[in-house]
Amino acid sequence: MSRPRLKLGPHLAKGVGAIALFVVLAYLVLRTTFPEVVGFPDGVNITASIGYALFNLPGGDVASEGFLAPFEIIDIVLVAALVGAVMLARRRVGGQVAAALRTGGEEE
Amino acid sequence: MSAFDFAPAIPLLPFASFVAILIIGHSAPRILPKGGAIPGSLATGGALLLSLWLLLPVSAGQYHNEVFYSWVAAEETFSLHLGVLIDPLSALMAVIVSLVSFMVFVFSMGYMNDEGETGLPRYYAELSLFSFSMLAFVIADNLLMAFMFFELVGLCSYLLIGFWFREDAPSSAAKKAFLVTRFGDYFFLVGTVGIFAAFGTGRFVAGETEGMRSFPVLAEEALNQGHQILGLAPETAITLLGLAVLGGVVGKSAQFPLHTWLPDAMEGPTPVSALIHAATMVAAGVYLVARMYGFYALSPTALGIIALIGGFTALVAATMGVVKREIKQVLAYSTISQYGYIMLGLGAGGYVAGVFHLTTHAFFKALLFLGAGSVIVAMHHNENMWDMGGLRDKMPVTYYTFLAGSLALAGIFPFAGFWSKDEVLYETLIHGLNDPLLLIAYAFGLVAVFFTGFYTFRMVFLTFHGEPRTDTAADPHPVRWNIKLPLVVLGTLATVAGVINLAPVEKLTGIHLTFLHDWLDGGFEGANAHHYLELLEGVAGYHAASLGALGPAVLSLAVALVGAGLAWRLYNVPDPTEHTAKLGSIQTLLVHNYYQDEYQVWLAEGVTLPLARLADKFDQGVVDGVVNATSSISLLSGSRIKRLQTGVVTNYAALLTLGLVALILIVGIYGGWF
Amino acid sequence: MIPTSYYVLLSVAVFCIGVFGILTRRNALIFLMSVELMLNAANINLVAFSRLFGNLTGQVFSLFVMALAAAEVAIGIGIILVLYRNFNDVDVTKPVTMRW
Repeated sequence: MSRPRLKLGPHLAKGVGAIALFVVLAYLVLRTTFPEVVGFPDGVNITASIGYALFNLPGGDVASEGFLAPFEIIDIVLVAALVGAVMLARRRVGGQVAAALRTGGEEE
Repeated sequence: MSAFDFAPAIPLLPFASFVAILIIGHSAPRILPKGGAIPGSLATGGALLLSLWLLLPVSAGQYHNEVFYSWVAAEETFSLHLGVLIDPLSALMAVIVSLVSFMVFVFSMGYMNDEGETGLPRYYAELSLFSFSMLAFVIADNLLMAFMFFELVGLCSYLLIGFWFREDAPSSAAKKAFLVTRFGDYFFLVGTVGIFAAFGTGRFVAGETEGMRSFPVLAEEALNQGHQILGLAPETAITLLGLAVLGGVVGKSAQFPLHTWLPDAMEGPTPVSALIHAATMVAAGVYLVARMYGFYALSPTALGIIALIGGFTALVAATMGVVKREIKQVLAYSTISQYGYIMLGLGAGGYVAGVFHLTTHAFFKALLFLGAGSVIVAMHHNENMWDMGGLRDKMPVTYYTFLAGSLALAGIFPFAGFWSKDEVLYETLIHGLNDPLLLIAYAFGLVAVFFTGFYTFRMVFLTFHGEPRTDTAADPHPVRWNIKLPLVVLGTLATVAGVINLAPVEKLTGIHLTFLHDWLDGGFEGANAHHYLELLEGVAGYHAASLGALGPAVLSLAVALVGAGLAWRLYNVPDPTEHTAKLGSIQTLLVHNYYQDEYQVWLAEGVTLPLARLADKFDQGVVDGVVNATSSISLLSGSRIKRLQTGVVTNYAALLTLGLVALILIVGIYGGWF
Repeated sequence: MIPTSYYVLLSVAVFCIGVFGILTRRNALIFLMSVELMLNAANINLVAFSRLFGNLTGQVFSLFVMALAAAEVAIGIGIILVLYRNFNDVDVTKPVTMRW
């Protein structure tokens, strides 16, 4: 039997916090009146506009600020995160870098 | 090049000699000539020449005030600085101090070098530092600088009194001198801070600088306009500040009740005693009163207390001097007594009289101590007068100069001490006729004249007259020129120094002879004898009664002659005997110096020590208890609260969530979202 | 047209589901998934308001959030690996050695 089961128990008590958060936030959202939706004009190509905006290029259907700098920064963050993940995952066995991942997960 | 350009060099020359002797004496004592006496003599001799040069422009009516080095300059008036102030008073005092220091250096060559003392570089270095401190104190232009060098003078006296520190008595005497004067200096410090707080300046004179004021003038203004000082009525505040500073004066000038250190200070080398008593340490106290006389003149209460302390000290010390056996002890009590006279003169409104007596006393007391030093050398360091006798024929130079000093000390016409002591008593009397308090002080002073005459000539007769009572006295050790020269110089001065102010003669003959009055009438605005007289009459309410000068002078001379005559009858016999037993129980009282030491020790052990223990208990129990309780409460609560940090990430998340909910609820309710 | 409050409610619901997961589960991998849910709740919000104001910025930012989520997962997986290596478990309540 490997199908998932709902596990009930006292460990769910902490979830009350999440429910309380939901109640409070939902109450707030329901009480708030949002302004009229402006939306985008019919027939514009939003996806293309996003692409132009990301590279600070003119030509998008919807005008927007440029996001080239954040784009590049995110690039660096991603690379750093990947390198960091590799650093964390590799391990040394007797001074040698062993395989980052092994099957079984047993320690020798 | 004016003489004022060299004014800072007056104290700095002895300082340079101090540094030089210290360094050379430590690294290469062999090349130090005479163990440091030569550089020291040259430095103080140079200081003497510069001081004498200063007299020229000052007598021409030029005065000098200059800030030498300023290390805190806050607002317009407030500044902490070292400055030079040359006016008639400081110029006169600089001459006295450098002259006596120079004489002491020369004399020391005979007293220390020829006697084969060890540790001479240390001795001369400390002596130079002593001269430096006192000269810098004399030319100080503000109260803080005065305080600093006042303390340095105290330190030097500690070092020199304890010069033979390997013996018990000198080192304990040094400690006593230091502690007792420190006790007074504590009040001086309080007064200094108080004056800076009240007036924003510690300057003695306004000087030539624009916008600067001196604190006596500011106090005078506050008094005239009725401004409060430090939240008190101006009269009260000025009296309190004046008395606080007076605490330092009483300690340094060995006035009752802080006089006990001075007789013990005789444990130091005799030239040091001469320096301490005549020119430096003890003179510093009364000089301070004279320096800020414009401040004291505003408070009749403070003046009255000064006069009473002075008169009382003059009498008490003179009675104690009557029974002493050692020559230096007699001189020590005479010093206390004579400084009592100076205080009496200053407190009774005789500013010039006080300064006059300070001047003449410096000469004749230095002379007497150096003469005593000469006798002590001759007697192979036996100081007991009962072992002397008949030295008159063996050492005529010492005898005649010592006699001149004694005649001056006893106040016999026409020696210097007569003129100055007479003027002090005369000023006290004419002001005392309108003020019963001063009249009491005058009575003290007049009775003390009798005792002064008595103990002075008892000392002279026991030492020099009669038959030699021991073998040493019959064949004394000869002394050389370096002991005789200072004696002759000072003996001449002690004889003739009175001519600078022959007030009674002027009154009788009408010839103008009060040169010291003219001298001290000059000076900066608000800091001269003329202004002080106005203050005394206008503010302090002192009024001089009109009285002939001859009567009081003859009276004090007669009293002194009676005292001297009694000594003549009792002790000028070939084989004198002790007469003190006739005094009965009074003798015991006098020999024990009125039990002042015992009483002060009791005060320390019976009152201060339990109080200190109580304070210690309070400190250990309550203060430390509170501190310790605070820390243990913090520790305990910390060890409880840290349980909150479970290390389980879920708990942190739950706390975060609940916190967010609570925050939204609070902000929402107060912000009106709901 | 669907009102904006519906989107926001959806976002709140997804976020709170993520919080619920973090509060009740102990498996570190489930934690990562829950965090992913919360990030995407933010994305829903961004896009909804982008539509509300007719402004492209929100949509571009949701792209950036996705990129950050990728970075976060990369690091998260690395941390879980180290966790497993040191404690032989991925239960987040086990490693408590850094408290106090």
